[in-house]
Amino acid sequence: MNRLRLLLAATAALTALLLQATLVAPLSQPLAISLPAVLVACVAMVDGAGTGLAFGFVVGLLSDLGSAHPAGVLALAWMCVGLFCGTIATQHSLWRDAVAAGFACGAATLAATLLLVVVGSGGATAFGAVVDSVPAAIGDAGLALALVPITRAFLRSERLRAPHPVFTDLAVSATYD
Amino acid sequence: MRGLTKLSKRQRISAVVLGIVALAFITLDLGGSSLRAAHTGMRGVLGSLYRGTDSVLGPVRRFVEGVPTAATNQARIEQLRSDNAKLKAQLAAQAADKRTAAALHQLKLSANATGSTVLAARVIAFGPGAGFDWTVTLDAGSTSGVRVGQTVTDGVGLVGRVLHADANTSVVLLAADPGSGVGVRDLRNGEIGVAKGQGNKGFAFTPLSPDAVIKVGDLVETGPLNSSSFVAGIAVGTITSVRVSADGTVTATIVPTVSPTALDLVGVIVHPGVQGTTRTPITPTESTSSTSATNTTTQTTQAGSQQAGHR
Repeated sequence: MNRLRLLLAATAALTALLLQATLVAPLSQPLAISLPAVLVACVAMVDGAGTGLAFGFVVGLLSDLGSAHPAGVLALAWMCVGLFCGTIATQHSLWRDAVAAGFACGAATLAATLLLVVVGSGGATAFGAVVDSVPAAIGDAGLALALVPITRAFLRSERLRAPHPVFTDLAVSATYD
Repeated sequence: MRGLTKLSKRQRISAVVLGIVALAFITLDLGGSSLRAAHTGMRGVLGSLYRGTDSVLGPVRRFVEGVPTAATNQARIEQLRSDNAKLKAQLAAQAADKRTAAALHQLKLSANATGSTVLAARVIAFGPGAGFDWTVTLDAGSTSGVRVGQTVTDGVGLVGRVLHADANTSVVLLAADPGSGVGVRDLRNGEIGVAKGQGNKGFAFTPLSPDAVIKVGDLVETGPLNSSSFVAGIAVGTITSVRVSADGTVTATIVPTVSPTALDLVGVIVHPGVQGTTRTPITPTESTSSTSATNTTTQTTQAGSQQAGHR
């Protein structure tokens, strides 16, 4: 079961990175809408902060190494997305989770850009990042609206369920039982 | 802070550890070249995957990107709307082909005009962190002759320069990148200066001489020869506004010839032609009338070549 979860996580991460570079980024220019970040948020919403933390770090590092800016920036940002979304997930409302995911991703992109401004790397500008952050967050929320049901369906299936019950699962069963 | 208390002790420790690891990565990458091999390897792997994905998703992307500019074909589109999905897909493919043919024609014209060797390449991916990485990935690499530092054009204007060249893909830093500066020349009065990229908003042009008179509508091109990292004589844009600040500094805004977000087929100048040609010195001639005639001819030729550079 664990091997299957790892395989699926790797596939999902790679798919998100490829779709981001070939479809989402070109079509959403110049906004910084990020499909991998939204994926991290959605996974964390279902599987909790621990999974979100690790998944966000790995996906972020892969994305970092594949681009021109210093490695570690997106790893740090998306790790925080996983951590944050894992702790605030409700599991009840699709809309609330999607909006929370969108704004967490928007804030993470803003933070990553500001970090790049601080270390003086690449073409980051603080003003542009702040101006673009709200529309980018709305775009992220739109992606999350589509991704949250998919990740829920996958991660709650019998074969992909987390090996140990995560905290949010307990909260849900306590409410429904 | 209700949320953070839900974290177990183990999760809190791993969060801190991973945070420190990420900061260590940033420091290592900023400080030196210790992560260069990892960057190159990952870029190579992702680059080849982008090529595969783009061959599948590229037509979809080009169709969606073509929608806003398709207004001129409105009547034809109205007619096609009633047709089936197969015909629509065919139209999208045709439009893309047409655009490719036009772009290729433009590259050929510019190669003919400047005498430089241009390698056509297609944009297959945009920077993964759109918004803070103004880079695009091309489907041509070092095996096709692409080298780091070469100038990239779309046949009309300046696109950027090659930042990394892997075997089959290369990464181009766009001239619009807010961290990039281009050495440019105002074509009307020959004033040179620096155009700093400003993303979608074009460039900010600062002439070297504070007394330079810059006018709205002036054309700006790369140059002068060999003093900038770009091939000279490529159109950068048109000046749309000029601002003189209290201390007399002149700053002008340049609208770029090439939109940095609508790139598809571009050309890498693998061999700039005009540099290093031998020429004969101008010698004084007997009659004054023939001298003035020669001058006029020279000016006409210059104007002609400048126009050709802007085609």
